This record gives sequence, structure tokens and C-alpha cells, in this order.
Amino acid sequence: MTTWVDTSCIITVFLALIILSNYRVTAMIRIFALQSFVLSLLPFFLHAYSLSGRDIFIVIVTMVLKAALAPSILFWAIRHVSMRSEIKPILGFGSSIILGVILIAGAFWVSSSLKLPGGKPASDLILPCSLSTVLLGFMIMVTRTRAVTQVLGYLILENGIFLFAVSLFDVMPVLIEMGILLDIFVAVFIMAIVVNHINEEFEKDLASVSRSKMGETF
Amino acid sequence: MLSILILMPFLSALGVLLPVSKAFRLKLFLVISLFYGLIVASFWKHLPAGEYHGFIVLDPLGLIMLSIIGFLYLSVSIFMMGYFNHEQRSTRIFMACLMLLLSTMTLASVSYHLGLLWVAIEATTLFSAPLICFHRNQQSLQATWRYLLICSVGIALALMGTFFLAIAAHEVHTLLLPSLLKGASSLSVDWLKLSIIFFVVGYGCKMGLAPTHSWKPEAYGQAPGMVGVIMAGALAQCSFLGLLRISQICNKTGLADFYSSILIVSGLLSLVVPALFILGEKNIKRAFAYSSIEHMGLLVLGLGMGAVGLYGALFHMINNALAKVIMFLTAGSVAQKYGSTRTDEVTGVIHIYPVTGVLLIAAFLAGIGIFPFATFHSELLILNAAIISRHFLLAAVGVSCLAVMFIGIGKIVLGMIHGKPKEPLIAKKENFYMNMAIAMAVVLLAGIGLWMPGALKHLISDAVLLTGAV
Amino acid sequence: MFIVFSILSHWLIVLALSPLFAGIIAKIKAFFAGKKGPSYFQLYFDLRRLFMKNCVYSRSTTWVFRFAPIVNLAAVLVLSLIIPLGSFKAPVHFSGDILLAAYVLGLARFFMIIAALDTSSSFEGMGASREAFFSCLSEMVLFMNFITLAFLTHSISLSTMIGADIPMSWKMAGTVLLLVVGSLFIVLLTENSRIPVDDPDTHLELTMIHEVMLLDHSGVDLGFMLYASAIKLFIFAGILVPIVYPVQTGIPLLDTLIFLGGMLGLSIVIGVVESTMARLRLNRVRNLLLIAFALAFFGFVVKMWKG
Repeated sequence: MTTWVDTSCIITVFLALIILSNYRVTAMIRIFALQSFVLSLLPFFLHAYSLSGRDIFIVIVTMVLKAALAPSILFWAIRHVSMRSEIKPILGFGSSIILGVILIAGAFWVSSSLKLPGGKPASDLILPCSLSTVLLGFMIMVTRTRAVTQVLGYLILENGIFLFAVSLFDVMPVLIEMGILLDIFVAVFIMAIVVNHINEEFEKDLASVSRSKMGETF
Repeated sequence: MLSILILMPFLSALGVLLPVSKAFRLKLFLVISLFYGLIVASFWKHLPAGEYHGFIVLDPLGLIMLSIIGFLYLSVSIFMMGYFNHEQRSTRIFMACLMLLLSTMTLASVSYHLGLLWVAIEATTLFSAPLICFHRNQQSLQATWRYLLICSVGIALALMGTFFLAIAAHEVHTLLLPSLLKGASSLSVDWLKLSIIFFVVGYGCKMGLAPTHSWKPEAYGQAPGMVGVIMAGALAQCSFLGLLRISQICNKTGLADFYSSILIVSGLLSLVVPALFILGEKNIKRAFAYSSIEHMGLLVLGLGMGAVGLYGALFHMINNALAKVIMFLTAGSVAQKYGSTRTDEVTGVIHIYPVTGVLLIAAFLAGIGIFPFATFHSELLILNAAIISRHFLLAAVGVSCLAVMFIGIGKIVLGMIHGKPKEPLIAKKENFYMNMAIAMAVVLLAGIGLWMPGALKHLISDAVLLTGAV
Repeated sequence: MFIVFSILSHWLIVLALSPLFAGIIAKIKAFFAGKKGPSYFQLYFDLRRLFMKNCVYSRSTTWVFRFAPIVNLAAVLVLSLIIPLGSFKAPVHFSGDILLAAYVLGLARFFMIIAALDTSSSFEGMGASREAFFSCLSEMVLFMNFITLAFLTHSISLSTMIGADIPMSWKMAGTVLLLVVGSLFIVLLTENSRIPVDDPDTHLELTMIHEVMLLDHSGVDLGFMLYASAIKLFIFAGILVPIVYPVQTGIPLLDTLIFLGGMLGLSIVIGVVESTMARLRLNRVRNLLLIAFALAFFGFVVKMWKG
């Protein structure tokens, strides 16, 4: 099962890299949904020979929250926005890819000096891949000017933390899992509402807001 | 007892959400705050037992925090009775969020499990966000957004720190504080160091330490005064509580020097950065936000200076909270009267509202640390600790930054008080409740400054002993 | 003596099978279009027809234009000697032959490009510049892949890189190979001008990238160029298939059959990819190649991590 775990980790990081270079909001949300789906299958792969009810519960809840609910809330948040891509991306495609690849290499380098105690973990790649995803999520947040895409970067950061949490503990404290899931759910919900209100504010002030500011957050 | 303290505000939040009259909500808020204050006062006599298998325990550190929270909410509830006379907006979400915030901050103060602590602080972030955009204009929404984004990232980093701590404690198998302290020798040092760094950045972000402080001026500048009080006085200190818990572990595992070096750097940055920005500031709430960053820097500096500094820091926690009550409630009162908090739109307060003017002066003195307010003593203690541990340059830089803050805030406050009176938006009558709430804090702060109660001294000493600092 | 025999047999296989490979892809594309499509052996008939014709040369061309098809075919045939095909060992193998492979390819491409420029027609000039650009990027990706494979198999000879070491590597470094395969597939599509990089069936000169190289050649020259393209496709597939499906049973016949089966499978995949995707806008092709580079680099990082 190690190969499946490894492959999921690799796919997660790679999809984060794709999102970093992409500036179209709908594409970003869809790729994020795919990434969350792959990530939510991870408990399955890790405990394939000894599935417990808790694993199944986590898989289902994560899949529903992160791969279904979060993207739909984000789509709902942008339903009024007409411009679906960035006017002037901060980084071009090539620069984003190169930067992302450097970040991944950096994360792997940092992980090489960290040794996981307590026996062999299920897969070697989990720690560096989770750090890479966290770094890429950071970068996505930093290079975006719109509210929805910043939230997306944060969600990818959360995905990285989730990858770390799910895979590194045999006996994981329940609280942390619930904390992660609660965090994501409530954060997305509130952020979507705030974004919604932001959009509403925009709608009201349409006459006074200049056309060029329409795509930006504020 | 403790679970009642946590559940009571939670349930009252649900009660506030019901379609009842504003007056009822205000009274409910006042009753809950009084009740809360009384329960906390009873804890001073006798600490209650731990609950939920040691997940929720009240120790001296937590008691300091609870007392601060209790007093803050009491003063806010009195202030609100006067503030909402002139406020047209619906107070439903506002009060519900305040209640939920009370509940989660209490949980953070009494949680002895570091994972639970994280969950509580995370919840405080989420519940405090709707409070900032109470006025629902574009700038406050922007401020709320920035706050949410930056603090959520900080919380995520703190979560990673918690994970690293759990890895470091893999032989102890739990994140309960007593078990961690008992098994301190078995903690893996590398992972512990990593987790410390993440904790300082993560919880520091919530506190408003530089360089993750950029949300503070925006958020405090846009939030109504009461929210500023709660956030600056209680919320930031709850995050500081997280750092205190880490210091407990550090002192046991021998990483105290490593931790204090990180804290000194953060503290220094948080002292210097506001000093750079305050001089050009024209908005009094934003200036007070910079003052808050500076005080957080002082707290962190005190924590990094050993037991003497820790004593000063814990004392400063209380004094800072009281000072923030005075500062932000006064600013909120001025904001409501004049519709703005900028120095070009508010002048001559003392001619029209003499009491508010005097309270503004008190806010300035309390925030800066002028005798007889107790902030003077606590700042002195922290700088003293710096000199004792031979960080002379640090003390010099600290004093100069405080002086710059003095100039900056003084310029704004004095500019507001004197000058040709501008026309206020509401009646030229002083509001009893608002002034009462602020005056309470002024008297308390000056009182502590003049005469330190023995019970308080004992509590702080107990807390310092508990931390195990040297 | 043996080496001559192995070279000749290697060339025989390559020359005999590559047009069939191209024909299979064309058939699959026709299937997706709902058509019966050309015969599997259409390219053989085309080549036979072309080899019987005379060449027509424009008056504005020089010796370069006449020379290029010969260089192209010769270079590709030399390349085929370095690549192992399934169980057939590469007749020429030495440490560092990947560099020879890459630069022989580069030589072929160079002559194609200057031959196109030689015609002094604007369409060829446009297409030549595009071809040069994409080949720059794809060469970078190709080298990144070779570096990763070299670290995996601890050698820089193609025969050992794609040879017996690979079955072990799938189990130990499966993720790395997954990334390498993905990256190499994109390189294959680029080097051989398949959709989504370039449409090989287009007749609009403005949209041509590689086709434009063939535009002005005729008769035997065109035959040479078409043959070279087909052989290049076969060779690239021959590099990819042993990595994807490495089976070494020891029985030569079975190995060959498995190799040919793998090639068939790959041709079906290429056909499906060609039929289901549209050609990308030109700046998107650059993005695609950068993604391929990211895949290869990521594979390299994971390989270094795995130690």
C-alpha cells in the first residue's frame, strides 16, 4: 500500500503546484476539489489491512467537507463575480512553476534533517510532501489579490496540515482531527459569508467603483 | 464549576440570538457578566477541582486570565448599556459573538491539554471576526478579512507546532500538560525546538507580535471600542497564555535559553515596529492598536527574561488589560459622539464633554505607563529584569521605543482634547454608563498602582513558581 | 561480425515496424472520428510511391535543402542503434550515450530547421521558429528525465537505464517512475508533433509547426522525412514502453511479444490522446512543457529524498 500512499502524496503536491501557476478561479477550485478527494482517500490507503470505523468516518467526513462542501461554497461565493481570472497576475506561469519547484525542493531539503521518531511511518514521503503543500499553500495566498483565491490558498495550506496529521500518528488524538475539520468548515463558511458581503458591498457601490477595480478584492 | 463557567456564556449566546428586545439582551449580558465575575471571585478564595480527566484545570495562570476576562466583560457590559442608546444596528450577532467569545476564552484559560488549547484559540479567532465588521462598511470588511486571513494562517502554524510537539512527546503519548512536564526528559529536543518556533510564530500572530502584526491597526481601527477592549485586553493575552504553557515545558526540558532568545527577538521587534509607525498616525484607535502591539512585545520580552521578568510580565498582563479598557472604551465613546476617530475630525473634546476629556487623558497616561497607574510599575519591572540579565542595549532600545510611543499617542490625544470644539453628532450630554465603565477601570488601575493587594502578589508569585522559571 | 549482424537486424526491425506504428495511430484517430480510416499499411504505400518519384526543388533553395532529409534519416537511424528495443540489446552502447542520443536528435532537428529557413518562405520561417522554441524546452525536460533515470539506475547509458534495472525500481521508487513516465509522455508528444502540441493532419500553414518542415520537400526527400518522423516516433515509444512495462522473462520471443504489445498499447494511448484533446494555443504549449519539467524535477527531488 506504500505505493498508493506515495502516489497520493505526490499527486497532492503536484496539484498544489498546478494551482499555484493557474489564475483562473474555476479551474483552481476544481483542482482543489480533486486534491481534497485524493487526500481524503489517504486513511484508506494507510490502514488498508486494518480498517477501523474511525478511519471510514474520517474518510467520509473529509470527502464531504473538503471535496464537496468547500468547493461548492467557494463557487457560491463567486457566483456574482463576472471576472473569472486575474487581470494582472503577480507571477507569470513560468515563474510560478519555477518558484513552486524551488519551494518543493526546499521542503524536501528541510525534511531531510528531520527524523521521525517512533518506528517506521507508513510512507517516507509524507513529511516532505506535507511541508511542500503547506509552503505552496502559503505561496498561493501571497500571490493572489482576490478574496476567494486567498481562501483557496489557505485551504491548500490546511490540506498540507491534514496530510501531516493523518499520516503521522498511529494513535491520533481525536481533538486534532475534529479541530482540523471544524476549522476548515467554519473558516470556509465564514470566509464565504464575508466574501459574500464584500461582493454585496461592491454591488451597491457599482456606480462609484471604477471598472478596473472590479476584479480585485478591495 | 468550571464547565458551568464555559457553558453558561455559550447558552446565553443562544438566548441572545432569539428575537428579543435590545434592552433584554443588554440586561442578560450584564447579568451573565456579573455572574461570571462572582464565580471567578470565588475562585480567588479556593481553586476549583479539575474536570474531564484533567483536560480542564484551573491554575494560578488561568486564574489571572479569568479575572482579566471577567473584569473586562463586566466593564464592557456596563459600557454597552450607554453605547447602544444611540446605535441603530441590530445587536443580535454582536452580542452572541461576544458571549461565544467569552465561552471560548474561558475554555482557553482553563484547558490543560495543548490540543484543546489550540481548539479554543481557534474558536476565538472565528468568533471574534464578525465583531470587527459591526459597522458593515467597506473598510471594516477589509479589516475583518485581513484579520481572518492572517490569524487563520497563524492558527494553522500553531496547529503544526502542536503536531510537532505531539511528535516530540511520542513516548508520553498525550498532550496533557502534567504528563508532558512529568515526562519532560523523554521529549525529543529537535522536534521540540521546531514546535517552539512554530508556536511563537503562530500564537504570536494572534497576539499581534511583529512581523505578523499588520492586521492589528486595521482591525482595532475599524472595530467598535468594546470589541477593541476584548480583543486587545483578553484575546491577545489568551494567546500569550499559550506561550506561557510552552515556557512551562521549556523550563522543564532545559530549552529555556533557546526559548528566551526567540522571545527576546520577537519582543524587540514588536517594540521597535510600532514606534516606527505611530508618529504619522492620525487615528486614535489605530494608535491604540500600535500601543497594544508594543505592550504585547513587552509581555513577550518579560517572559524571555527569567523569573523576574515573568513576574513583571504577569503583572503587566493585568495592568495592560485594565489600561486597554480605559483606552478603547474612551476611544469608542469619542467615536460614537463624533462619528470618527481621526484627529482632524475630532478636536476640543474637553470643552463639550469634560468627563470624556479627562478620561481620554487618563487613557493616555494609563496606556503609556505614567505613575500612578500600575502600568508604570509593570513596565519598570520588565525593564529592570532586562538590566538584571545584562541586556543593556535591549533596555535602552525598549525605553526609547516607549518614549516614541509616548510622543505619538500624546500628540493624538492632546490634539483631540484641546483646540476648537467640533460639532458632535449626538447630544452634548455625558452618558453615565459609558463613563462609569471607564471610571471603574481607572480607579482600579490607579489603585493597584498605588497599593498592590497581597492576594494579587501571592497569585502572581504562585504563577511564576508554577512556570518553573529561574 | 556479430556487431554488423546486430546493427543490421536492429535497423531491419526499426525500418519495418515504424510505419506500421504510425498507421495504427491513424486508424485509431479515424475510429474516434467514426470513419473507416486509411489502411494500417498506408504509410508503406506512401513511402513506396514517394521513393519512385523525382524531387522538385525550388530555385531559392541551396545544397542545405537537398542535404537535410539525408541528414535527418541518417541521424535517426544512428539514434536507433543506441536505443534498446525490448529484449533486443542496443548494438551500440557505452557510458554516456544518452548525450550522443540527445545531440544526434538535435543535429537532425537543426538541419530540418535550416532547411526550412533555406526556402526563404515566411511560412517555413514561422514554423521553424516555433519548432526551435519547443525543442529547446523539450530537450530541457528530456535531460531532466535522463538525470533522474541515471540516478535511479546508477548509469548513464541508455541500455542500462531502460534495461534490466527498471523492474526493481518500480517497486522501490514507483512514484519517481510515475513522474518520469508522465514527463516523458509529454516529451514524446512534443518531439513527434502530436496533439496537443501540434496537429499532424493540419493543412493550414499558419497552424503548422512540424508539418511546415515537410512542406516544400517532394519525392524521395519527402519520403526520407516521413520515414524519419515515423522512426523517431517509434524510438521514443521504444524508450517509454520498457519503463512503463518492464518485463524480463528471459525468453527472447516472449520478451519481444510483450514489447510489441506494449508498443501497441502505447500507440492506442497516443491515438486516444490525439482524438480526445484539441491542440493547445501556442503559449499553452510552453506551459505544458513547463509542467513536464516540473514533473521531471519533482521526480528528481523525490529520488534524491529516497536516497
